[in-house]
Amino acid sequence: MSEIKNLQDEKSISPVQVQKKNKKPISVAQILIYIFLSLLVVVYIFPLLWMINVSLKTNPEVFKSPFALPEVWQIGNYIFAWTVGKLGIATLNSVLVCTIALVVSLVFGAMAAFAIARMRWKFSQTVMSYFLVGMMIPIHCVLIPLFVRFSKLGMTNSLTGLVIPYIAFSLPLTIFLLVGFFKSMPGEMFEAACIDGCNIYQCFAKIALPLAKTGFFVSGLMTFVANWNELLLAMVFISDAQKKTLPVTLTYFVGPYATNYVQMFAAVIIAIAPSIIVYCLFSNQIVEGLTVGAVKG
Amino acid sequence: MKKKFIFALLSTSIIASLLGGCQVSTDTGVETTEESSSTSTQTSDSNASETKSDTTGNEEKITWMFWDDLEATDDLITKGYKEVIDRFNEQYKGQYHVDVVTTNLEEYDTKLNALIAAGQTPDVFICNPGANLNQYVEAGVAADLTDILTNQESEWYGTFSDGIFEGITYDEKIMAVPTCFAAACVFYNTEIFEKAGVQPPETFDELLETCKKIQDAGYVPISCSANTPWCLSMVAGYLCDRQGGPDNLEGIMNGTLDWTSETFVKAAHNLKELSQYFQDTAAGDSNDQATANFYNGEAAMLVQGSWAIGQVNGNNPEFEDKCGVFRFPGVDGGADPNRMIVKTDNLVMSSTTEHQDACIALMKQFTDDTAQKYIAEVGGKIPVTGVEIDYNKAPKQLSYIHDILQSTTGTLGFYNESLGSVEAGDTFDNAMVEVFLGSATPEEALQKVQDYFDKKVRK
Amino acid sequence: MDKLLRNKKAIVIFIAPAFILFTLVLFVPILQVIYYSLCEYGALTKPEFIGLDNYIELFTSDETMLTALKNSFFFMIFSVISQQIVGLFLAVLLTNIKKGRNFFKNIYYLPCVLSSAALGLLWAFMFNPKMGLNQILACIGIEGPMWLSETSGFITLPMWVIAFVALWQYVGQNMMLYMAQIMGISRDVYEASYIDGASPAKSFIYITLPLIKPMMITSISLNCIGSLKFFDLIYNMTQGGPNNTTHVLATHLYEQGFKYFKYGYSSAIAVVLLILCLLVTFIINKCIKVDTYEV
Repeated sequence: MSEIKNLQDEKSISPVQVQKKNKKPISVAQILIYIFLSLLVVVYIFPLLWMINVSLKTNPEVFKSPFALPEVWQIGNYIFAWTVGKLGIATLNSVLVCTIALVVSLVFGAMAAFAIARMRWKFSQTVMSYFLVGMMIPIHCVLIPLFVRFSKLGMTNSLTGLVIPYIAFSLPLTIFLLVGFFKSMPGEMFEAACIDGCNIYQCFAKIALPLAKTGFFVSGLMTFVANWNELLLAMVFISDAQKKTLPVTLTYFVGPYATNYVQMFAAVIIAIAPSIIVYCLFSNQIVEGLTVGAVKG
Repeated sequence: MKKKFIFALLSTSIIASLLGGCQVSTDTGVETTEESSSTSTQTSDSNASETKSDTTGNEEKITWMFWDDLEATDDLITKGYKEVIDRFNEQYKGQYHVDVVTTNLEEYDTKLNALIAAGQTPDVFICNPGANLNQYVEAGVAADLTDILTNQESEWYGTFSDGIFEGITYDEKIMAVPTCFAAACVFYNTEIFEKAGVQPPETFDELLETCKKIQDAGYVPISCSANTPWCLSMVAGYLCDRQGGPDNLEGIMNGTLDWTSETFVKAAHNLKELSQYFQDTAAGDSNDQATANFYNGEAAMLVQGSWAIGQVNGNNPEFEDKCGVFRFPGVDGGADPNRMIVKTDNLVMSSTTEHQDACIALMKQFTDDTAQKYIAEVGGKIPVTGVEIDYNKAPKQLSYIHDILQSTTGTLGFYNESLGSVEAGDTFDNAMVEVFLGSATPEEALQKVQDYFDKKVRK
Repeated sequence: MDKLLRNKKAIVIFIAPAFILFTLVLFVPILQVIYYSLCEYGALTKPEFIGLDNYIELFTSDETMLTALKNSFFFMIFSVISQQIVGLFLAVLLTNIKKGRNFFKNIYYLPCVLSSAALGLLWAFMFNPKMGLNQILACIGIEGPMWLSETSGFITLPMWVIAFVALWQYVGQNMMLYMAQIMGISRDVYEASYIDGASPAKSFIYITLPLIKPMMITSISLNCIGSLKFFDLIYNMTQGGPNNTTHVLATHLYEQGFKYFKYGYSSAIAVVLLILCLLVTFIINKCIKVDTYEV
């Protein structure tokens, strides 16, 4: 947790600034920096705002007066997107798939990481490297064998078929991050627990797990975000509209409805709204968590 | 503790957003159904979900797979199919029941192949003619229907129009049953034609002149999409056929004619000439955008299949009155200009189905008079049986197409679907796009197609 | 204690679930994909061994593969360079302002957590020939180019557009990585350098840059692997078109596998992609020497 606090501390000012502060209260350079950064904010926010604007118009309006606010707010676009795009069920599927993948990968990952980091056995390093190779393998490479295998098992059009690869692909990163956390724990704690008569399972559940909270948060966040946005595997595996995840549902608007910008954007907004809301609420924790995860990974 | 809190909040906020949305959707569910019943007079109230739950244990269950969502569609043809399914399940209640598996068009093949690989081939599924059907026939997935049609159900077979089975017959074996067909023609805006003082052209040279005049009058002569390659390829296909007639495709397929021969080179040059009259954004416009240019009154002509009628009339109902149709012009010194590009929608029966009778009953339902009348009068596609059609009810364009069909001497499939494999078709499409974009000369582009054929098709 | 930690049964119980799942879903399929790549294999046929034919075809006669390789490499090089520079630049700017650092940082990071499928649709609209950006340009009397359908040039315009969209989306990640590292540098180091008379620019070159070098490896390898397996944005913006000029390895693989159902051929592309990923990681780790400084 310490890293996170460190980064969050807004008041910690950088050294370059310390020197400047002594000379002038606000320098020209600072103003220029702020102007530049604000322009960049426009580049980031403007497309999103425009999209919201478009999603409330009619198609002819988008052509005629691209920048004007909508004459009448076309809430119907959202209704169309919701019903035709089946976004409600898609959100639910995404939540379901990602949550299950998250929980299972954390549990399995923590168990394996504990054994690798804390227990003494000959092959611990070999097994660790074996998992690590997985971090370098793109999901695309195993797409065809997985698809062939799963379709033979009749699992291609089910959420289970999606959850299993998601778990497997989350494992390397989870294990890697958690091994780091478990290793950094002081050995005395386990010794003390041992003297108190704890068995290895209790050591794991009562000492290692609670202490690795930050590790869980970081690796959980990384897997959740990655799985939430995963498109390729879901697109290939799932075709039943009732079982699609959010990103796949959006591809429905690529192609046949490509000119229906208003409805397409309504769908996009509904689809990214949960992410944006959660992000706005916990932006600091999320940004730091993901960064810590990336640094270690 | 804090983390638990975050996840709790995360999940609640998502659930909250879900619930919020649900309320909205229930509001308008009513509105949408009202709308749909007012647009199409024949659409009955949808009660598919009810019929599905009515099933009893003794029914023979079959599955039918289709490439559009029956419940949430604006496509009139799809709505007609939904009716067929509802009627079937009602009529054969207690005897047969059909469950529908739907996907969207893009992933239809992937999904179907996955089911076939898993040994769960749908009992009946829809399929494009040409390359797509080829692969299922070759893999033994499609059942041979010859005996059923010509012997057991000869009465049913007799209702079909002549020659309709041509494209779906392999070695004299009929492998599918068509449900409807569409023909490709040139749609034109009569208003713009009047303003520019031009008449529908009869020959390719006249067409170029017409384009010139329309351009001078300040309109876009032709709307076409090169971003959706088959749209451009349809024009190219017509030009190839106008140059060389049926011999062209035959020659290509049996290896006696090369892509680099004169007739194709001429056709590609024609395409190049014609393409200067396309809208400026043709390279980037999708099929839908190109069609929209036409019904919004920006472009004077559109080369499209008759399935576009539903799209045009649906998006701009006032356009029906000023939309004319003429056959694709012939070229001087070329072949018979009265041939039409047509395409059927076909039903394929799985060779492994255990419920053959139910499948046949379903296929019959698709081709009975009610269904076929609907296809023409509401959907604007052309029926496959000799059913009487009330052309006053049907979209006006359909009767124009019907008139053109009267003088048609022969039909051909889409070029890209007639070349043996999907990939071969795409190779042709891409070559034509290159000609249009100018990134290759007609000769170079055709050489590429020839190279592909040398390597892959004529090993 | 030692006995406890050498409990064989416990080790097996702890490792087994992850190990089995990982092996079945990742390791076995990798072996399968290598085998399939040596086969003629379609959706409706059985795999039939044909040796290296798929690879030969891939590299000698598949134009799209060459385009895809070219685009993937362009994409990787462009991403690495642009994201490193812009990311570092932003990180330095942000560490040098007093107020609103969190605000700016969170805004720039936002697209990283959003689905690229959704953002792809958004940008496809922005770069539409008749809408989006071209509508803005039309206001000031410029006729915008056809951003996503131009096909001339060695690296076509659409590829540049997509590369910039990717920069827009992912630069926040690099920025954060560098910020974390820069803020970890002790203030004393800088103060000492100022006493010695170093300008901010000099202290950046001589202190900041060397100290963030370890982070560079992390972020360069993230960039490289990420851009090699890039799929979502391209699929939703151009689908590899026009005329196959915007294919990258991943979209080519998808198209061959799931549009033409050439599983064997598609597997060969997967193997090429896999080798490239492993190679790139290896090269980065070998070529950039890490000097460890006491921070």
